Parts: sequence; C-alpha cells; structure tokens
Amino acid sequence: MNPFWSNIFQSSGYEQTLEYFLSTMPMFKKLDKRELAFLANIVHTRNYEADEIVFSEGDIGSGMYSIRSGQIQIFNRSEHGEETEQAILETGDFFGEIALTASRPRCASARSTEPTVLVGLFRSDMLEAVRRHPAPSAKIMLGLNRVISDRLLQCSLQLEELKKQLGDDRKQQTDA
Amino acid sequence: MHSQNNMSRAQVAVLYLVLTTSIASGIAIYSSASTITVLLKTATTGLFLPLLISLIVSFLLDPVVHFFEGKKINRTLSIFIVYILLSSLVLLLLLVIGPPNWKGMMQALQADFPRYVSGAIAYLSGLLATAQQHFPFITNYDIAERLSSASQSFFALILKETPRSAMRIGSLLLLVPLFSFFFLRDSRRIMRGLISLSPNRYFEMVLDIYANVSWQLSHFIRGRILEALIIGMVVWMGLSLTDIRYAPILAVVAGASNLIPYIGPIIGMIPGLVIALVDLGMGGQFWWILCVYLLIAQIIIDNFILIPILISKVSNLHPLWVILAIVMGGKLYGVLGMIIGVPIASIINIVIISIHQYRRSFNPYQRYFTSRGKLL
Repeated sequence: MNPFWSNIFQSSGYEQTLEYFLSTMPMFKKLDKRELAFLANIVHTRNYEADEIVFSEGDIGSGMYSIRSGQIQIFNRSEHGEETEQAILETGDFFGEIALTASRPRCASARSTEPTVLVGLFRSDMLEAVRRHPAPSAKIMLGLNRVISDRLLQCSLQLEELKKQLGDDRKQQTDA
Repeated sequence: MHSQNNMSRAQVAVLYLVLTTSIASGIAIYSSASTITVLLKTATTGLFLPLLISLIVSFLLDPVVHFFEGKKINRTLSIFIVYILLSSLVLLLLLVIGPPNWKGMMQALQADFPRYVSGAIAYLSGLLATAQQHFPFITNYDIAERLSSASQSFFALILKETPRSAMRIGSLLLLVPLFSFFFLRDSRRIMRGLISLSPNRYFEMVLDIYANVSWQLSHFIRGRILEALIIGMVVWMGLSLTDIRYAPILAVVAGASNLIPYIGPIIGMIPGLVIALVDLGMGGQFWWILCVYLLIAQIIIDNFILIPILISKVSNLHPLWVILAIVMGGKLYGVLGMIIGVPIASIINIVIISIHQYRRSFNPYQRYFTSRGKLL
C-alpha cells in the first residue's frame, strides 16, 4: 500500500504495540495479555542501521533476538575471510535462542541488511524474571522450549531422511 | 592547489567568519563550562549523602517489596505497604520499650566526657611511668598534655557539629524516604534506560556486566548493613548485662564502626573499654565487656556466623586499600566519610573485578570451543 494511505488507514493502536508483536511470535502465542505486558517489560528494543553487525561468530552470546522490522543475514566466515550465507531472516523470525539459556559462543554472525528493529530477550533479564516472577517466566520458558523442541524434532527427522538417502545411495553404488 | 588559489574574496570572508566564530564559541563554552561545574558543585552539595543513604535503604527494602509483589500487589502499592509496616514497627518499638533517652544521655555524656578522658590519661601516664622505669632511655614525653588538648578540641568539634548534624538528620528524614521510594519503584526503568544508551556492539556485554555487578552489590550492601545491625544488637545485649552506662550509644558506635573492615572493630571498642575502665575499674565486668566486644561479637558472631553467611560470596578489599579509603573518606567528609569510604571503595572494587572477569574468563566453555565458536 502507498505509505500515505497506510498512514491514514492505520490499524488500531494495539497492533502497533510491542505486546501485539510479541503475541504474533510462535513461542509467545499462548501468553495472555498480562503476561505479554510483563514480557514487553523485560525485552529490549534495539535499532540497527543497514549493514550493522548484530553479533559476530565466537562472541559470548547473552540472548536471542526477534526481528520486528527489517532483514537480518546470518553468515559464517571461513579462516580465509570468505563469507557463506546461512540464512536471510525477515520480520517475525528469531535467532540466537541457544544463548538464552547458557553462555555459549555464537556459532554464526548476524548482520542487518537494511535498517532493522530487533527485540532482544537476554539471559540476565530472564534469570531475574525467573527469580522474581516465576509463574509468567515459566510460561515464557515453556513457549521457548516448545519452539526449540520443534526445531530439534525437525532436525532429527531431516537427519533420519538424510541417513536413509545415504544408505540408498550406498546400496546403489554397491549394486552398480 | 589550483582551486585554493582561485578562492574568491567571498569564500575567504566566509572562511574567516567561520573560523573566528568557532574559536569564539569554543572560548565561550570553555569559560562557561568552568562556571557550570562550579554551579553544579554548589547545586549538588549535601545531596550526595541523602542519595547514598536512600540507595542503601532501597537495596535493603527491595526483597521485602518483592515479597509483597509476589502476592500480586502492584509495586507502588507494595512499597507503600512496606513503608507503613516499617513506620508502625518503629512506633511500636518506641511504645513498648519507650524512646531511649538520647538527649539525657548526650547531656550526661557531655558532663562525663572530660572525666573519662582524664581517667584514660591518668591510666596512660601510669603506663608511661612504668615504661620509663623499665626503659630509662624513653624521653619524658608529655602524653597527658597532648591527649587532653586533642580530646578537648575533638569534643568542641562534636559540640559545634551537633546542631548542624541535627538539621542534617531532619532533612535526611524528609529526603531519604522520598528518594528511596523512587529508587524502589523506578530503579529498573532508570537502569534499563541507561543501559539502552550503550552502542549496539557493546550492548550485550554491558547488560551482562550490569547484571553481575548489581547482584554482587545488593548482596554486599545487604550483608554489610545486616552485619552491623546484628553486631550492634549483640553488643547492646552484652553491655546491658553489666553496670556500664551509655550502652545504647556504645552499641551504635560498635555497629557503625563494624562497617569498616579490619580497623573498625578495634576503634569501635575503644570508647567502651575506656568507659568501663574509668567507671567500673579493672574488675570482672571489664573482662566481660572485653569478652563481649572481642570474643562474642567479633570472633563468634561475626567471623564464624555472619561473614560466611552474608558476605563470603563477595570479594574483600586488601587492607592497604581499606586504610587509603578511610584516610581519603575522612578528608572528604569527616567521620562520616571514614565510615562510608570503605563501602564505596568496595563497590568500585566489585565493579572493576566483574568487568575484568567478564573480559578474561566469562566464557566457561572455552575448553570446548575454539575462539571462532567451533566445537573442538
């Protein structure tokens, strides 16, 4: 839509809020309004210019980010400095969730490709929230857990598939 | 080069104007900056102490407020509940025990102070005389004269400072609850605002270091204050068993001086011992008082019970830094500076140590990963 018209026919106030954005994320889908408000209080909104590094491979990670607007490129850098792109993430995607529970080094770098707004949820805030408000924090953690388990399940299914393919290939080779 | 030679008169004039204005405004900013710092200094005098005390109070009350918050009461209301509970507790204590007669005690102390000093001087000169008997080469040092003049000037200072400090306490009673209310309610928001100012590249590091520092600080401050309170109570109870006068004041002195590590407890027990020596003599009660100060308060309660429970998690200062902090604090804020100098030095110490730790060894998985994050 033309930006002029989209300004006039702006959606209702609630859809502009951070709470609404969080409620559209798969992991926070099941939170009620009160818990969403609580979550909106512990996340940090960060603004990035185009082509700005969010974190680099090997940094000590301290939390996950989700993209409120803009685009993020995930890439690895080889020993010789060549970059291989792993993924392009759009609005609503999230990344870096492994660092939320343990201070592991980042296994890839992230960079914004256009002006981007990220919503970060960090370990130190999460730990404090768990200590002070256990009930909503538990629900947030469960949501995260669900999404990560889904990913793990998908991964193992894919692995199974690949193993099968590999076995088939070997069989064909030995047959041939 | 060519273009520079071709600069028109108008361009030269503009350049000249820009240069002069920038130099003039630079001078103006510089001179006003010095007046601004003076203005800031005069504007903030006397605010340091109430701010510090209200920070400490908010650190102390924070767990209690959280207890009420856990009962699904909102934060502002729970702060009010804590305030009301606290003030009613103080009122109740005053009603049950009756207010300790501070004024009478101060007046009696004013009357008694010279007596105690002269008693201590007499005792010390006796010691010196015996020392001279045994070691004749010690020159006849006029200890009595020096001590009495020093104590007189010290006492005059206290007399002069008392009305001023009373006024100060009045303003503290007004300001501290107000400030600590806002600290309690908004400290998280304030700190989040400050942290979000940090550049994107360092944001995660700043957040992690802040979390570590605030955890350590809250434990340290809570631990120290609780320790001082408990030591004060123990000394009060121990002294109440004897006939010694001024037990409450001595307990306050012991508790406050306990905030200073290593040296504080020794300083805190000197007035008690002097009063005991002069009033009660070198009898069983004197030894009991010494025992209360040293054995019960310091060794058993403090070293064996309180320090392991309350502050063992936080690293302590080196004695050299403690002495430096006391001297510098004393120069800045007098006796009060001596008491708060060491805690402030410890706070700086905690901040430096956690930044250092983060930079060097925050990564506990270094053994398993290369610097590029690959699994070894």
